Amino acid sequence: MKIGIYLCGCGSMISEKICFEDVREAVGSFPDQPYLTVVDFICSGEGRTAFIEELKRERPERVVVAACSPRDHEATFRHCLSEAGINPYLLQMVNIREQIAWVTSSRKEATQKTIGMLRGAFYRVRLQVPLDVMTLEVCTDVLVIGAGPAGIKSALTLAEAGRRVTLVERTPSIGGLPMLFEETFPNLECSACMLEPAMMDVLHGEHSKQIELLTLAEVVEVKGSYGNFQVTVRQQARHVSQSGCISCGQCAAVCPALRSDGRKAIDFASDVSLPHVPFLDEKACLRSKGESCQICQDSCPAGAVALGQFGLTQSLELQFGAIVVAIGAGLYDAARLNGLGIATSSDVYDALQFQQMLSLIGPSAGEIVSKGGQAPASIAIVHCAGSLDQEHIAYCSGICCRYAIAFSHQILTRLPDCRITHYHRELVTPGKHSSELLNKLKEEGRVEFRRYENIRELALMPAVEMVVLCNAVVPSDAAGQLAALMDVPLDGDGFFQELHGQLDACQSFVKGIYPVGACREPMDIPTAVNEGTAAAALVLAGLRPGRKLEIEPVHAEVEADRCSGCRLCVTVCPYRAIAFDDENKKAMVNALLCRGCGACVSACPAAAIRGHGYSDHQIMAEIRGLLK
Amino acid sequence: MSDDSSNALFEPKIIGFLCIWCAYAGADKAGSSQEPYPPNLQIIRVTCSGRVDPQFVLSCFQNGADGVMIMACHPGDCHYKEGNCRALQRQRMLLRILRQFGIEEQRCRLEYISANEGGKFREVVTDTVENLKKLGKLRHALPLDPVLSAAAGNHPASP
Ligand SMILES: Cc1cc2nc3c(=O)[nH]c(=O)nc-3n(C[C@H](O)[C@H](O)[C@H](O)COP(=O)(O)OP(=O)(O)OC[C@H]3O[C@@H](n4cnc5c(N)ncnc54)[C@H](O)[C@@H]3O)c2cc1C
Ligand code: SF4
Ligand code: SF4
Ligand code: FES
Repeated sequence: MKIGIYLCGCGSMISEKICFEDVREAVGSFPDQPYLTVVDFICSGEGRTAFIEELKRERPERVVVAACSPRDHEATFRHCLSEAGINPYLLQMVNIREQIAWVTSSRKEATQKTIGMLRGAFYRVRLQVPLDVMTLEVCTDVLVIGAGPAGIKSALTLAEAGRRVTLVERTPSIGGLPMLFEETFPNLECSACMLEPAMMDVLHGEHSKQIELLTLAEVVEVKGSYGNFQVTVRQQARHVSQSGCISCGQCAAVCPALRSDGRKAIDFASDVSLPHVPFLDEKACLRSKGESCQICQDSCPAGAVALGQFGLTQSLELQFGAIVVAIGAGLYDAARLNGLGIATSSDVYDALQFQQMLSLIGPSAGEIVSKGGQAPASIAIVHCAGSLDQEHIAYCSGICCRYAIAFSHQILTRLPDCRITHYHRELVTPGKHSSELLNKLKEEGRVEFRRYENIRELALMPAVEMVVLCNAVVPSDAAGQLAALMDVPLDGDGFFQELHGQLDACQSFVKGIYPVGACREPMDIPTAVNEGTAAAALVLAGLRPGRKLEIEPVHAEVEADRCSGCRLCVTVCPYRAIAFDDENKKAMVNALLCRGCGACVSACPAAAIRGHGYSDHQIMAEIRGLLK
Repeated sequence: MSDDSSNALFEPKIIGFLCIWCAYAGADKAGSSQEPYPPNLQIIRVTCSGRVDPQFVLSCFQNGADGVMIMACHPGDCHYKEGNCRALQRQRMLLRILRQFGIEEQRCRLEYISANEGGKFREVVTDTVENLKKLGKLRHALPLDPVLSAAAGNHPASP
């Protein structure tokens, strides 16, 4: 077998420290008599040209390049091999700069070490086999789950780039949690108003044709993998046609039944909900009690109400290339904060209940009233309710202090004489505009800030007429089920786990599934929106129309006849890349999902898994070469 | 095991399995700072420490290595999530097998090296070389024993 060994002098960086002549002599005694060429600065434009030219002339069957770290230039040299018409995976690099020349004091020892490492690489490269990049046809449509700020922004960005998007939202309307907020940090902007243009874009904007919105819908099954997910979505009937409805509200006006939030059984989700189309809550409808009422259908002037689907859900089988998960978070259950001793006040509200109270379209029309019906003279706002607490939630939820301060501003505009006390463990207001509201409060001196250590201390606080809890942000109740459907891991706290917390935060461990927004970590609206955009960019970069998906050939493969069916590899693979064929009792690696870590290769007791590009044989040969 | 008379001249042969993401990058970092360390370590680059099959380690001893180093990302930092946990489990199991052949624990060392820890890399390599010099040459290379290799192949499940 003809093998070419290339040494780079790296100016004098390497050649000064290693005696190339001694290396040449030693290499002469390797089996098969490889040829050795010195190319100075082999990574430079000139060096690469010389390298490629010689590869074309010599036509070696395997190539060793001894130069700098493969972390710097393995890709460069693979590319050179390709250009010379040689399979790029027939290359082995030896790092003689960082690992020898720069760190060995004696020239003799450096030369010996170089010969040893070259021998290892030489033995290994002989067993290397050509690997081919495989390609796969893909679907470029995208599923976005959750129509909060993160999901909406993701869908809009993708649609603008020409992608078809299906936006699945489990409630009747879009916008997510901020639709409940009257005034948000950092500048007391109304978030429903702020989000409205984006929501209108989803429904009626220039690219809305690209977006199919499915409300009252949930994902119930996910099969397949990156590029080709098969997804089943179950959708409840709305009973009101979105295209037919003229939003007159006649159906709600005539409906005799009430749902639990006090609205009619057929009604808008709220006065500002979008799409501004009523939906029928079947549980509240008289028909669910066996009555034959259909007054809504009869009185709709647009003929948009259709009760024919009562009690039915529809299942949609859809195909997608990628999935953006934006289902938001939940709030820690205040009932678990026992020992709080807030029995002194019956008026305890969690953050969302209080948001509702502040909302001009909420049940009290924005008036702050206690259960007894009067305006409270004193309110305690309890930050870190459950957060930063080893007995409850260990992390800081990151947003509560900021909205708690916005609460104070809203209370003071409505009840200027109300005595407000903020109880906090820490006071955290990150962001370039976020301290302004806090500073204003402090300057005006109208509210009191008190630090506490243990939430139980609050039992001793002076009695107040209303308590508002800023509950810890916790994973959504839907996270576990959805993650299990998609086989995507959650982190220790139950949020969607990122591929890499710092560098790949919007990717999950499963290729093609992108968790963004508050389902990944508690966060504010701008961050959630940015993550939605980021995931869209990742999808656009990865899946392109007319372009097949390339599969990196350095991956694992099961040799079926050796596999004993023990399934060990299935449990070991961190990327769920190994499926088990129950019929034939054999494991199979999905090359698309495999990231080539090799965990399964070394775990398989039957030695049935081959790591292409890093097989047992190759590594064993390298060991023998190094120790000869 | 030590053979004091020849130790001064003895240069242990060490094979290091370094994961490309952290440990190998740490070795590169040590290289960039250009401070010398002993030349006894020869490095095999692996995707992840979880790729280090116990057979590789046994094969090193069978072929005459005096020591083996497995270098991984710090716990929690493995690029593939938990390969380094598996490496740790396997190293513990290996130590038990090696002990039965009279091979000292110090000859099979697992270290966590981050991409920034060039200094730590240099220190552990230097330290290992010194330790192995004290221990002396591996008396008997491991036999090329098929039973032994099979035992190592059958390492316990590490879910
Ligand atoms: C009390 C409170 C006050 C806040 N105040 C502010 C503030 O003033 N300023 C600020 O910047 N941020 C504030 N935040 C944070 C803000 O709410 C979040 O950053 C934002 O909601 C995150 O957007 P998201 O799209 O990730 O999730 P969400 O807004 O929660 O949207 C998730 C969407 O997914 C849907 N969904 C859930 N599960 C499923 C499922 N299984 N299938 C389909 N759809 C599903 C939900 O119905 C929802 O529409 C506050 C948070 C809280 C709790
Ligand atoms: S670990 Fe090996 S033998 Fe067991 S199922 Fe996987 S490939 Fe088959
Ligand atoms: S090499 Fe790693 S990623 Fe690929 S199938 Fe095996 S365990 Fe999974
Ligand atoms: S990648 Fe470094 S130990 Fe797994």
